[in-house]
Amino acid sequence: MRFKSLLRFAATAAIFAVAVSAALALWRHYMYAPWTRDGRVKADVISLAPDVAGLVVEVPVHENQAVQRGEVLLRIDADRYRLALEQAQAALAARQADYALKRREAARRAALAGEVVSSESRESAAAAAEAAAGLYREALAARDTAALNLQRTEVRAPVDGYVTNLDIYPGDYAAAGRPFLALVDSHSFRVNGYFEETKLPGLHAGDPVSIRLMSGGPLLRGHVDSLSRGITDRDNPPGPRLLADVNPTFNWVRLAQRVPVRIAIDQVPAGVVLAAGMTCTVVVEPPAKSGRDG
Amino acid sequence: MPREIDLLGFYMPTLLPLFIVAFALQWRIDGWLGRLGFYTHVWHPALFRFSVLLGLFAGCGLLLYR
Repeated sequence: MRFKSLLRFAATAAIFAVAVSAALALWRHYMYAPWTRDGRVKADVISLAPDVAGLVVEVPVHENQAVQRGEVLLRIDADRYRLALEQAQAALAARQADYALKRREAARRAALAGEVVSSESRESAAAAAEAAAGLYREALAARDTAALNLQRTEVRAPVDGYVTNLDIYPGDYAAAGRPFLALVDSHSFRVNGYFEETKLPGLHAGDPVSIRLMSGGPLLRGHVDSLSRGITDRDNPPGPRLLADVNPTFNWVRLAQRVPVRIAIDQVPAGVVLAAGMTCTVVVEPPAKSGRDG
Repeated sequence: MPREIDLLGFYMPTLLPLFIVAFALQWRIDGWLGRLGFYTHVWHPALFRFSVLLGLFAGCGLLLYR
């Protein structure tokens, strides 16, 4: 009888121990294994703005179009800039003629014998020639600037990418420096995984990563590129006069903060369309399966 | 198996439906063991039931994260 009750106790205790150890293993996986549901697809977004102002005459692209590097995205009315270039060229010609005249004059006076012209007159002719040279170079630079402005009436794509948020139409007045579209660099797609800080020891640069988009579909492959080396201290912002402003309350119960980890995408399965901002689940697979909880 | 599941438009960790599955399984096993009179041989039936539920849930969860 005594042996039987011992057996009854032992069987219950054994199944309890098994259950608890399985639960602990699950907890370690959930808390410390390097995976997160908080992943975002990211890309370089270039907000393009014209360098010169003017009326928009042509927008040769449409929303969401894929464009090649160097393709024209916007044409600004060039007439004004063509006229400005003509004006600068005319000014340059005048300055050039003036410079040639002054230079010849100075050379002539310098060649004359000492007594015929005063040295003061020689000096002033030389100085006038130098001043004319300066004005000529100024006109040259103004001509080049006018040519550059004319060239900049065509806004070109700086990278291969996708036109997004196109917000300009023919007839609009384009102000210099005001962005008119966002260009998403098509070669810059990557994933930012926001990992709890407790999970960071389990991941290293180069570890293979599988990425599952929220929209489902086949898995994307990638690898850990790098770890962000700084996040803001939310509790202790700098106070006035650079003094620390330490929050006097400290939470007894608190959550691990999240640190962005940059993940390079190695391979996108055919048919999967990436858009910057998409949500994804990121699972880092440690190359060596040594740590069972790793 | 995805670690996040879409249930009628709500995205949640797969662990949550797994827990419900484990609970249902435990319910069935419990009824079955009770009819067989198994619990007369068990030292602490409540602890035993709890352990079965915990073991089922953790086992399913570990399968998910493997």
